[in-house]
Amino acid sequence: MSDPVFVYSLSTCPWCRKAKEYFADVDLLPDDESDRLADEAYSLSGSRAFPVVKIGGEVIVGYAPERFAVLLETQA
Amino acid sequence: MAHEARSAALREFFTPLVGALGYKFTPDTELADFLLEQEAVLEENKGAPYCPCQGRTRTREHDMTIVCPCIPYHRAHFDAMRRCWCGLFVHLDVTDPAVLPQIAASELGVEE
Repeated sequence: MSDPVFVYSLSTCPWCRKAKEYFADVDLLPDDESDRLADEAYSLSGSRAFPVVKIGGEVIVGYAPERFAVLLETQA
Repeated sequence: MAHEARSAALREFFTPLVGALGYKFTPDTELADFLLEQEAVLEENKGAPYCPCQGRTRTREHDMTIVCPCIPYHRAHFDAMRRCWCGLFVHLDVTDPAVLPQIAASELGVEE
């Protein structure tokens, strides 16, 4: 079983929405939209920029579908 | 659009500011309208038109660096991407914003 995908997002951010749409067919961990997780996202990424996407042990900052695809492929 | 009047006011206010910095509104009008509306919402709820795609820390020193237009505080990063983080503004010579991806400052080797 592949590792879960976690999308740290802001409700005001269109790129966060796109990231969640990208992973529509993937099991996201719940509670993926909350300001209270911002500090957790920062501890992972070292950045206050969103979205932050965690796939397995890898963390990507920003909407980067090409990189999402590569990481999902390696997780499959 | 619930915040149409304020969004229009922000657009008028930002245009000369970002022009002087070498930027313009993205030609993607749907994206620009959405982002401006979110900024109007943030201004109403949080007190300032913060970047819709950057998280507040609730410390004034940091949060002032993400009030739109935040280009001066992230100049090296945004110049490298030729767009700001949320994509509301692009370099003056950009005609197709779709080809400009979000790239983390750390990956570009510049300060955020």
